[in-house]
Amino acid sequence: MTATAQPIALDKIPREGREESQLQIVMRRFLRHRLAVASLIFIIIMFIAALLAPVIAPFPRDAIDIAVTARPGPPGTVGSEGQLHPLGVDHLGRDLFTRLLYGARVSLSIAFIVVLLSEMMGVILGAIAGFLGGWFDTIISRTVEFLLSIPTLPILLITASILIRTDAQIPAPAFVTNGVAWMLAAPTQEANKVIVLMFILIVLGWTGAARLMRGMALTLRNQDFVEALRAVGASNARIMFRHIIPNGLAPILVNASLGLAGIVIAEATLSFLGVGVQEPTPSWGNMLSAAQSYMFQHPWLPLVPGIPLCLVTISFNFIGDGLRDALDPRLKR
Amino acid sequence: MTAYLIRRLFQMVVVVFVVSLFMFFLFNIAPGGPLTGLQQQQRRITPEERARIRAQYELDLYWPIRYTRWLIGWPQGPIVVGGQELFANIPVGCYIEATPEEGGGCHQYVYLADMPQLHPPARSSQGILFGDFGRSTVVQAGRPVWDLLMSRLWATVELQVISLALSLLIAVPLGIYSAVHQYSKFDYTFTTAAFVGSSMPTFFFGLLFILMFTILAGRIQEILPWWPVLPPGLREAVRPYDVASWLTRIQPGSALDRFLHLLMPVGVLTIVSVAAWSRFLRSSMLEVLRQDYVRTARAKGLPERIVINKHALRNALIPFVTVLVLQIPLFFAGAIVTETIFAWPGMGRLYFDALNRSDYNIALAFIYVTTILTVFATLLGDILYAVIDPRIRYS
Amino acid sequence: MKTKKFLPLFLLLLFVLILGACAPGAPAALPSVAPGEAPSAVEDYTTPHPILSDVRVRRAIAHCIDRDALIASVYPYVEDPSALLMDSFLPKTHWAYKGPYDFPWYDPEAGKALLEEAGWVQGDGPVRTNANGEALSLKFTTTSAAFRQTWSQVMIQNLAQCGIQIIPTYAPASWWFGDTTGLSRRDFELGAFAWVGQADPAGRTLYACDQIPLPSNNWEGQNYMGWCNPVASDAIIRANNTLIREERIAAYDIVQREFAKDVVSIPVFQRAEAQAWSSSLSGVRPDPTEYATANLHEWELADGGDTIVIGMTQEPDSMWALVSSMAAQRLVDRPGVGMLYTQYSYDFQPALQDPLSTLESGLATNDVVEVSAGDKVYDATGAPVELAAGVRVIDSEGNEVEYSGEGTVQMNQLTVTYKLKPATWSDGTPVSVEDMKLGVKIDCDPNSGATTFDLCNRIGDLENDITYSDSELAMTIKYLPGNQYPLYFLYPFGIYPSQRVLSDGRVLADVSAAEWATLPEVAERPLSVGPYYVKEWNKGQSIVLERNPYYEGEVKTPNVIFVFVADTNQAVAQLLNGDVDFLDPSTLGAGAEVQTVIDAAESTGNVQYYISGSPTWEHIDINLYTK
Repeated sequence: MTATAQPIALDKIPREGREESQLQIVMRRFLRHRLAVASLIFIIIMFIAALLAPVIAPFPRDAIDIAVTARPGPPGTVGSEGQLHPLGVDHLGRDLFTRLLYGARVSLSIAFIVVLLSEMMGVILGAIAGFLGGWFDTIISRTVEFLLSIPTLPILLITASILIRTDAQIPAPAFVTNGVAWMLAAPTQEANKVIVLMFILIVLGWTGAARLMRGMALTLRNQDFVEALRAVGASNARIMFRHIIPNGLAPILVNASLGLAGIVIAEATLSFLGVGVQEPTPSWGNMLSAAQSYMFQHPWLPLVPGIPLCLVTISFNFIGDGLRDALDPRLKR
Repeated sequence: MTAYLIRRLFQMVVVVFVVSLFMFFLFNIAPGGPLTGLQQQQRRITPEERARIRAQYELDLYWPIRYTRWLIGWPQGPIVVGGQELFANIPVGCYIEATPEEGGGCHQYVYLADMPQLHPPARSSQGILFGDFGRSTVVQAGRPVWDLLMSRLWATVELQVISLALSLLIAVPLGIYSAVHQYSKFDYTFTTAAFVGSSMPTFFFGLLFILMFTILAGRIQEILPWWPVLPPGLREAVRPYDVASWLTRIQPGSALDRFLHLLMPVGVLTIVSVAAWSRFLRSSMLEVLRQDYVRTARAKGLPERIVINKHALRNALIPFVTVLVLQIPLFFAGAIVTETIFAWPGMGRLYFDALNRSDYNIALAFIYVTTILTVFATLLGDILYAVIDPRIRYS
Repeated sequence: MKTKKFLPLFLLLLFVLILGACAPGAPAALPSVAPGEAPSAVEDYTTPHPILSDVRVRRAIAHCIDRDALIASVYPYVEDPSALLMDSFLPKTHWAYKGPYDFPWYDPEAGKALLEEAGWVQGDGPVRTNANGEALSLKFTTTSAAFRQTWSQVMIQNLAQCGIQIIPTYAPASWWFGDTTGLSRRDFELGAFAWVGQADPAGRTLYACDQIPLPSNNWEGQNYMGWCNPVASDAIIRANNTLIREERIAAYDIVQREFAKDVVSIPVFQRAEAQAWSSSLSGVRPDPTEYATANLHEWELADGGDTIVIGMTQEPDSMWALVSSMAAQRLVDRPGVGMLYTQYSYDFQPALQDPLSTLESGLATNDVVEVSAGDKVYDATGAPVELAAGVRVIDSEGNEVEYSGEGTVQMNQLTVTYKLKPATWSDGTPVSVEDMKLGVKIDCDPNSGATTFDLCNRIGDLENDITYSDSELAMTIKYLPGNQYPLYFLYPFGIYPSQRVLSDGRVLADVSAAEWATLPEVAERPLSVGPYYVKEWNKGQSIVLERNPYYEGEVKTPNVIFVFVADTNQAVAQLLNGDVDFLDPSTLGAGAEVQTVIDAAESTGNVQYYISGSPTWEHIDINLYTK
């Protein structure tokens, strides 16, 4: 579902009262940013690999090859029955390439879900706040101010460490748990923990989009076309969803793309510190955390999850940069 | 401005209050706790023993009571008015809880009158508002949190001051130069490098540094004895060691030892700040250079050097000041991730240790001070912005 | 505008509450009364388990587990796995072990035969079924520790080959070992965890019939299996209520035989533990039950170095042993504060306490006394009570009897004299009887922060039942009738320097026990009667010990530094490059790092290592009952 999120958002912009060629202009500008295009291709490849993880992974996710006595084992380790571990095995004797693929699936799924939901939440709340004003605006603005004025990392750490360790079942509807479990290619108990993590990231992550959208709505609501729409009897909801929000989507899109990088990093950092995704669910962050303990004897170990992690965050940033160049004519080179 | 300040100060108080209340609430639902693992000891554990252990951590008290005791050190016992003990029979906690099988509830309540005996003042906090941060429960069982914080503060300040100074020295000229020479080869290389640098997770930088300067360097040194190998963690060594063949043996605790241990953590923090700040400065400088008054100054025929230094630079640095002010809390809180990776005995690592070992008094004190510093820094940034930039007015 | 400012606050509070609702399960502060559930007719865990109550199935499970393979999966470097195998609840080197016992060994064919006999037959599928078509499928619960996940994977494969399906749950330790969850509520079918073996074999709370945790007894006891074998139960009670070692050994022998017969708990293996030290270090004496640093004063560096560096991944939480239970604390405490006695090889040796006050030494007597209603006694469950009708006690014959309310009962009463050698604190003041008195006072003060007052409870009256000598460092304790504490011969309390003047001018003896843990003079730099004293503690970095100038014996190396390293791997790296000289088992563990040490020892010879079975043993408890 997240795969289609971007194209939908993209073709909404031009459709809104402007020339069809707007999309082509944006595309042309974006294609000029070569690093962004390369990044996009890379992300698509990663995405497909993650999606196909259960198919292309050579081993089951948690399968332990006990016969491999050298644990961790370097790339090219040969297992007990002659099977090849292309990237080696970790300290428990699990195939690293397999874990890397599943880890990609976990890390990317978390990033896409969190960004999609937090941007949606921010956009809607921001638009209502800016468009309607009044007490709702006060609440939203004060909440945003509040969230922006607290020390984020310490509070993120403490919240995650406590909520992740709490073993009670979260009251999420079954379809959410099952959906997330499918996205992560993991059992539902593991999905529960990840849902808690995503919840925390969303709660702390929607403020950027809300501020952007609120500002946009504030300027748009006094413009003539809104008056005109009111005159023809358009409802508030219609004006907001059909006209205000689509008009403000360009900066949101850029924000979302940069947000993807931010969430990948946040999740990896939390998992690295042991308060994010928990073993045995693989994520690049907790793979790095395990690798850190063994890197003195096995220097290649942190590179296995580390390099894809860096490439992905850099790529998301480049895509965001390219989108900004393409969508915001003021900043064009 | 005064009204604005009062409003902001009020907001600060609210933020600190809400954050501390939220943290308290979180700890209340935190799993584990001191009773976990009692099962692993082969002996009889009586309900009284359980109750006593719970009481040691004040877990017998209801959490709003715990909160006020933590915040203002009250109540310590019944309220005495004119020699009369009031409210002595108000239950403030449950000493021995009933099991769910018994229908829940409480076997033995804690009353205000029991407080001085069960939670003697010598073991409880006088209130964080009055500067008593309470006692550590796990990391340094029973010792005052304040002493523990102070024992770590200096290491954090050292790390932060040095990396801040270094970052400023590098980031400012880099950003400005790059903006002035926009579209040059240098600018292109610089922007790409800074972009990549600010996109990478900090902790991976840390791992890469250890990988390059300790592990791989160690392997290189086996072949080339002059190749230096940096110590991978801690603040100072405990016994003499060699870095490279051309350097004398380094004595633990010496200035050189301290310096070598600083190199990697400072390096990581500096790279991260430089990447972010110089990009910020570059775009802020570009913004200024597009302004009319710069164009006017140029049109007047002023030399480019004066235009840049006198007109553009100052205005470009204004927004940067607000970014810098936001670094204030870090002098207390430290860099949690970097300190953890390099085993730096600073505040950030202490906080993380405290979290992992469920020493919530330390974590609370840390969050409390950090939140105050953060809201204070935000306010200071806003005020500075108004003071420096006459166009901004707060009402 | 201003009044509305409170709205977001309320919303945040609301959010907080919602968040709270998302994660209940922790101890609720407010007394919550559960909505009245209809009391079930049958108490939980009194219905025999449909599969596991059959001893043939339990034996089959034990037969099907290849414990050598399990050991190999977690300790690939252990050359002889049989050293870690157990056929009883005591390690083979324990004085109370009189094996070998007839515990079912790995023999899948025998296991399959037993399953057939019990009615579990292999059909078309991989899982056996019984006549009703029910599958032989069992839940297996343990913690999420990687080490347990590894060996249990092998076990699951083993059992699958016998047609037994295992559904594993790797729960967080906070749940499995929680106070009101997991193990303590017997919420398992097969459950794995570890017991830490001790010099005293204990076992009373584990294998006696009256120690089965049930809702009706408030879940007291540790007999999680629900094993009630009268012979074994009787023997384990007897073993813990006699002081004569031969009798204890005989009683334990009976329990171990029954244990092997009934197979209610499968000892998987003794955990391995490893320690390593630099080859230039001599004098290290590895031992399963005593901390390595107990003989730190005998350690010596070959190159004549005057400083030994010991790496630790944990930092002690306090130098006051009473409030700390960390291995890191003990490692510093034993040489740096002093030892009353040592406990090498599952036994005890005199140190400051000399000699040990055994019955044979003449310092202890076990007299038969007559007690009657109203006397304070130590009852059969191990609680100090007043003798009244209905109280169950152990009489002088070792039998459990119920007091009728009238007449007298003959019970054993221990009277023990404890003697200390003359010694001097590290500030020059000699140890005095006052220091011993202070030890009793503080260790038995409910505000001291100690977790258990078991020893204090065994004495009726701390004032009158303890008498002190005027001429030497000795005290005599008259214990409650009925207390037959097997470790009676050990000095039961600490000793503290009563004369020590604190930084604020007070004298230690005058400070209330509640404050003790907060004093730097107690928690950070205590005085020592051992070979070293704590000179300096740099928080987060190191603890520096220096030779105690008033210590009588020889100290070979004057300085010792304990450094705190981030993790085991870093510790190993520092050992290999010579930054630290010694890593104890609590730091080195038994993971893959040990292999690194072994490789280094073989290739360079710069380090030495010692791998042994630790007193901690993994086992699978089998719950004989179901909810």
